[in-house]
Amino acid sequence: MELFTPDFGLIFWMFVAFAVLFFILWKWAWPAIMKGIDSRADFINKGVEYAQNAKEQLDHAREEADKQLVEARRQQAEVLREADKMKTQIIEEARVAAQKEAQKVMDAAKVSIEQSRKEAEQSFRDQVSDFALEIAQKVVKNQLADDKAQAKLVNSLLDEMEHNN
Amino acid sequence: MKKLFLILSLLIAALVSPVRVAADDHGGAKIDPKEIIFEHLGDGYGWEVPFNHHKRIPLPIIVWGSDGLHCFLSSRVAHGETYVDGDASFKIATEGDYKGKLVEIIDGKESKPWDFSITKNVLALFIAVIVVAFCCIMLARWHKRKGFEAPRKGLGLFETIVEFVYNGVVKSTLKENAPRFAPYLLTVFFFILFMNLLGLIVVFPGGANLTGNIAVTLVLALLTFFVTNIFGTKHYWKEIFWPDVPLWLKFPLPIMPIIEIFGMFTKPAALTVRLFANMMGGHMIVIVLTLLIFIFAEMGAAALGATTVLSMLFSIFMLLLDVLVSFIQAYVFTMLSTIFIALAQEKAEHEHKEKAEHEHKHEEKTAQAAK
Repeated sequence: MELFTPDFGLIFWMFVAFAVLFFILWKWAWPAIMKGIDSRADFINKGVEYAQNAKEQLDHAREEADKQLVEARRQQAEVLREADKMKTQIIEEARVAAQKEAQKVMDAAKVSIEQSRKEAEQSFRDQVSDFALEIAQKVVKNQLADDKAQAKLVNSLLDEMEHNN
Repeated sequence: MKKLFLILSLLIAALVSPVRVAADDHGGAKIDPKEIIFEHLGDGYGWEVPFNHHKRIPLPIIVWGSDGLHCFLSSRVAHGETYVDGDASFKIATEGDYKGKLVEIIDGKESKPWDFSITKNVLALFIAVIVVAFCCIMLARWHKRKGFEAPRKGLGLFETIVEFVYNGVVKSTLKENAPRFAPYLLTVFFFILFMNLLGLIVVFPGGANLTGNIAVTLVLALLTFFVTNIFGTKHYWKEIFWPDVPLWLKFPLPIMPIIEIFGMFTKPAALTVRLFANMMGGHMIVIVLTLLIFIFAEMGAAALGATTVLSMLFSIFMLLLDVLVSFIQAYVFTMLSTIFIALAQEKAEHEHKEKAEHEHKHEEKTAQAAK
């Protein structure tokens, strides 16, 4: 029955040994180990979380980039279309302006032609009238010797005038 | 594999040798299995030298006799000699109530002095303390120096076990109280585990049947008992003396309180006996299996050969099983201690509810804040 009767000395030393061990570990070992384990677990959790976030962000960034690329293409097309439109517009405008200018020039030419024609006409008329007068003078000088002829001439001139008017 | 084989063969050699020598001692005379078993399971004033049954490593004996303190080496009282120190004379009793214990002889009568000797078990206890302290401090140093780096090899294994107990048992049961009790529970776990494992080593630094000694398990259970009751909450004590049961169960005859108080003491008793019986049983089976060889040896060579092989195989199997049992028993002791402490930490129901509600509200608030 020796096995079932606790020995006093052993109980005493067991208390002492456990107290010493507990003190040593409580003071120098467990706090550091527990802190180390907990903080490492936190660290790993944070790392995993960070990696997940990073992955998410990367996926997101890719999507964003794709979206931006599409947007850029769209904008590019728009710009090109706009440029095309602008080009035709500019050409049109230029054409219209050129036409206008040409019209103006032509009008001015017409006016000046008309003017010069009128001037020419005028000078021609003046000349003709001068010639006519000269001729008339000469004719009159020759023919106005006789009264009948004078009267006939006046009448014919009057008729002519009447006819002209 | 080679290494494993080497270890196994060494194990067999170590196992066989003390018993072989024991058999040799008796010089063909009948061996007394009971005596050998109890010698191996029990305590002693010297530690067997490997492969030699006569020589013992002498250990200091410290006793408080009838006339004060006496210190001497156990070699002085070996082989039934009587040691006279001043007026007092001591010897190891060979029969009677104190068989195997040191007794003081006063007027021809044997009486037991206060015995604080560093016996085999006490020395084994100290070795276990040193080993546990060394392992834990090494791990603590690693954590202080290397920060987040994970230890490898031995320390890695050790840390895995620490984490297993700390996260798996202590934290999951005690929740927010875990940091308060974790040092005690972890110390208990590793102390038991190392005592168990050292007990399985047959030669010198081990071999003491520590956790199979009722004094050791009793102290461990008492410590859990103290921790449980000293740190017990008001609610815990109320549940013991005035539990929530119909009035006639607690007044005028306090049936439930008596049962509860009885329960307070059965818990450590169960702890004591469970660890003690498991470890002692394991040791006993291994020794008995080995002794079978010598019992069958008298029947002739054939029987001896057959039993040797069979016994060795079974012994090895039992030893390996004991390695598992060492771990399981340390785990069970720690787990039950944790549960007992956790039960004594319970708050009253309405307090608990309030707290839960408060937490719930807090969570909602943070959730809203997050939105």
